[in-house]
Amino acid sequence: MIAPSRFRKKILFSLWLAVLPLAGCWDRIEVNDLILITAAALDKPEEDKGVELSIQVFIPRGGGGEMSGMKTEGSGGDENTFVRSAVGVTLADAMAKLQEKLPRRIFWGHNEVLIIGEELAKEGFREHIDFWMRYTEPRERADVFVSKGKAKEILMLIPKIERNSSEVLRELAEMRTGIKVTVKDLAQMLTGESGTAALPWVEKLPSSNEEKDEKKSIGYIYGTALFKKDRMVGWINDRVTRGMLWLRNEIETALITVKPKEAEEGLVSLNLVKSNSQLIPQIQNGKWSMTVKIDTEVDVIQNTTNLEFTNPKFLQEVEKAVAKDIEDRERMALAQAREWNVDIFGFAETFHRKYPQVWKKEKDRWDQIFPEVEVKYETKVKVARLGLSTIGTTKPEEEVKQK
Amino acid sequence: MVMSMKNRSIRFNRSKQKQNKRLEEQYEQKLEEKVGKQEIYPDLEENINFIQTLLGNSGDLVTRQFMIQYDPDVQAAIIYLDELVAKEINHNYVLRPLMKFSEIPHKKGRDIWDMAYQSLVQAGETKVEEEMKKAIDAILCGDTVLFIDGYAKTMIIGTRGWQTRGISEPRAESVVRGPREGMSETLLFSLGMIRRRLKDPDLRVKMHTIGKRTKTIVSLLYVDGIVEPKIVEEVENRLKRIQIDGILETGYIEEFIQDQTWSPFPQLQNTERPDAVVAHLLEGKVAILVDGTPHALIAPAVFTQFYYSPEDYYERFHIATFLRFVRIISFFVALALPALYIAFVSFHPEMIPSKLQLAMAAGRATVPFPSIIEALMMEMSVEVLREASIRLPGPVGPTIGIVGALVIGDAAVRAGLVSPAMVIVVGLTTISSYANPNYNAAISVRLIRFPLMILAAIFGLYGIMLGLMLLLIHLVQLRSFGVPYMAPYAPLNRSDFKDTLIRVPWKWMNKRPSFFHPEDERRQAKKDGESESKPNEEGQSSS
Repeated sequence: MIAPSRFRKKILFSLWLAVLPLAGCWDRIEVNDLILITAAALDKPEEDKGVELSIQVFIPRGGGGEMSGMKTEGSGGDENTFVRSAVGVTLADAMAKLQEKLPRRIFWGHNEVLIIGEELAKEGFREHIDFWMRYTEPRERADVFVSKGKAKEILMLIPKIERNSSEVLRELAEMRTGIKVTVKDLAQMLTGESGTAALPWVEKLPSSNEEKDEKKSIGYIYGTALFKKDRMVGWINDRVTRGMLWLRNEIETALITVKPKEAEEGLVSLNLVKSNSQLIPQIQNGKWSMTVKIDTEVDVIQNTTNLEFTNPKFLQEVEKAVAKDIEDRERMALAQAREWNVDIFGFAETFHRKYPQVWKKEKDRWDQIFPEVEVKYETKVKVARLGLSTIGTTKPEEEVKQK
Repeated sequence: MVMSMKNRSIRFNRSKQKQNKRLEEQYEQKLEEKVGKQEIYPDLEENINFIQTLLGNSGDLVTRQFMIQYDPDVQAAIIYLDELVAKEINHNYVLRPLMKFSEIPHKKGRDIWDMAYQSLVQAGETKVEEEMKKAIDAILCGDTVLFIDGYAKTMIIGTRGWQTRGISEPRAESVVRGPREGMSETLLFSLGMIRRRLKDPDLRVKMHTIGKRTKTIVSLLYVDGIVEPKIVEEVENRLKRIQIDGILETGYIEEFIQDQTWSPFPQLQNTERPDAVVAHLLEGKVAILVDGTPHALIAPAVFTQFYYSPEDYYERFHIATFLRFVRIISFFVALALPALYIAFVSFHPEMIPSKLQLAMAAGRATVPFPSIIEALMMEMSVEVLREASIRLPGPVGPTIGIVGALVIGDAAVRAGLVSPAMVIVVGLTTISSYANPNYNAAISVRLIRFPLMILAAIFGLYGIMLGLMLLLIHLVQLRSFGVPYMAPYAPLNRSDFKDTLIRVPWKWMNKRPSFFHPEDERRQAKKDGESESKPNEEGQSSS
């Protein structure tokens, strides 16, 4: 074994020292000198040129003050964010203008929400996404939304339960009742085969009667905005959005209420456990068709009918009813998408993957093909659990239909 | 390997040796002037006078002159230091038989010295010496010397006996399950505790006297047939090179014989548990015991063994393994948590989850200092508190410590001088550093924390990584008596992994760690009944 000589140690140490100045971390900046952006909104400015950038800034309030009895004062206005905006020819320019109005350095690292105003969305916003993808600071995993009216107004809302309005939106998107699109997804959609995109649509929740303050509200996800290229062309409501989620294999939570044929009255509610959707494309004799295969598992969570589900016959009825309900929703979504000729289900990619040769020739005609694609549905529903009680708990026994 | 080891230790000792040589010479000269090669005088009075003058007529020096009732009556004297002898031995077994009228029939021509040596003095440990220097050494050690008029020699009688502290539980290394006795300041007691646990004829105890003035007895323990002879040889060589006037604690010896003086990591372990000493001896290490201190040094030592507690081997293996993970996590927490906090706050705000970042930003809103100042301030005040609480008088100590920490911490947060997150970081760091079962290893972590914090403040995470890399480079090149410090991780040896982070059940730990190169590799007899190893080498778990 070679003993590390003193000379070798010196060399090693000087090499170690030499590495230090190569560091990329020379820019020490304390949290206290940063503006932490929690959300950003893009709007069309009144001057009709460039873009208006509004940021929601977190106001760091010391824990010290809160502890020593000043809390009572603060509890009224829970505003721990404020909104500031600036107009620039590009987004980066707007940011520079904004920096002039802020005493601390703008820091994008914790910006998790990006809202695009309706007007801007209708005009196209592609060039602004470039800033998000290129600049090092903003997160590519931030959620993107489109708001009804001005996006800035959504930022200014003060929610009751979460820390700020952007947090509310993020949590709502996380729940997956609508679609969830990150900046990265959006960029992918825009560069995708069909050049279409879908973004969650945000509306201001009308404030309740007893709440005088207009600002005390939240933005909530209601439906989906549909984009062709980068321009918003249409909007589908919440119900249709759910159909779209089934088609996109993005459904995670669902509550389906159906009326089985056998039941004279009452409904059955089922909760989705898991579901898998598959798109199987086919081109036969120049005829494009798509089979949507859905395999889903549900639990009964409420039964107001007089049916006893221990009988497999009734269970099959329910399964059939659920399958029909799902397919109806899918049809509705497809119909609406076709209305604006927006392929938001990824049909184009699926065809491209399976028939790359055909796709190469036909891809410019996709806009004509998409409305003509024949869609078949194959939905398999399985009721996995009947719930904790099998017999009708609220109905007299004689009314329960066993057979 | 051994060559390089020797070279290094020689180089390390060279300059010291020169200096020591000079000191030694001076001392010898002085002693030479007084004692020299002085033989013992035949005349009793002359001997007494010489010793009394040499010790400066010390008040505790007892000289008892008496007459041996024999034919013819002979003058004799015993000399001893009052506080170091067991008086009843002196009275009952030395003075009484000599002074009483002998019952042994008078026989002419019988030599009185032989008579005294062979039948009158009833002590187990006697020696005859002719040099004055030996006699003086014996007196200073607590032995009694007997001079008989007319004989130019002295009898040294082992009568040592002094007040000692009782055997008590080791305070720094207490265990829930396991022996509660700690070693004692008296070397022989400690040796007794070890012998009692290791009844192996192969246990070797080699005595050295180190310290020109203190004449401290240092004993080297090892089990012949387990330990690698080269290690014993090297330890002995290094012990022999120590030239100092006094040894008061094992720490003196540790600093003299360790491989690298500048390393912050301890290269010898110390323990005051006799059971731990035996366990180490059985693994093929040597132990160094020093008279006057209950601590034993264990050499060689590897990095991982500082994170093991004796209890790991006494409790069942599940909890032992779990606790080792806890300790290694706390090692990293104690080492790097404040540095990581500084790096995240000052350089990498994007690397913390958003919600946490907002909470931290809120906590830091009123803090007027950059994070490094904040961290250094808090760490230093904890260090002060730690140091002060050791010296606070017994009953109030814990109270003041807790009150100080809580009140100051809380007040600092309220005043907005320190962020609440920082208080948590400092608290976690301090507690984590106490999770280490070995105090001297915990010290190194405690110290390295500060350079890491400064690196973090200048270079961020990058600086921490570089610091940790430097530390790792240092650790892998470190050796303790020829054994790589990071063994068995570097060099990697899979067969030694049975007793690392995971402590396997005793049943499967049938070999000793190979990185100490034990001569007898097996701890347990082979399963098929073929017994290679001796019965009492099966580990102290059964004894």
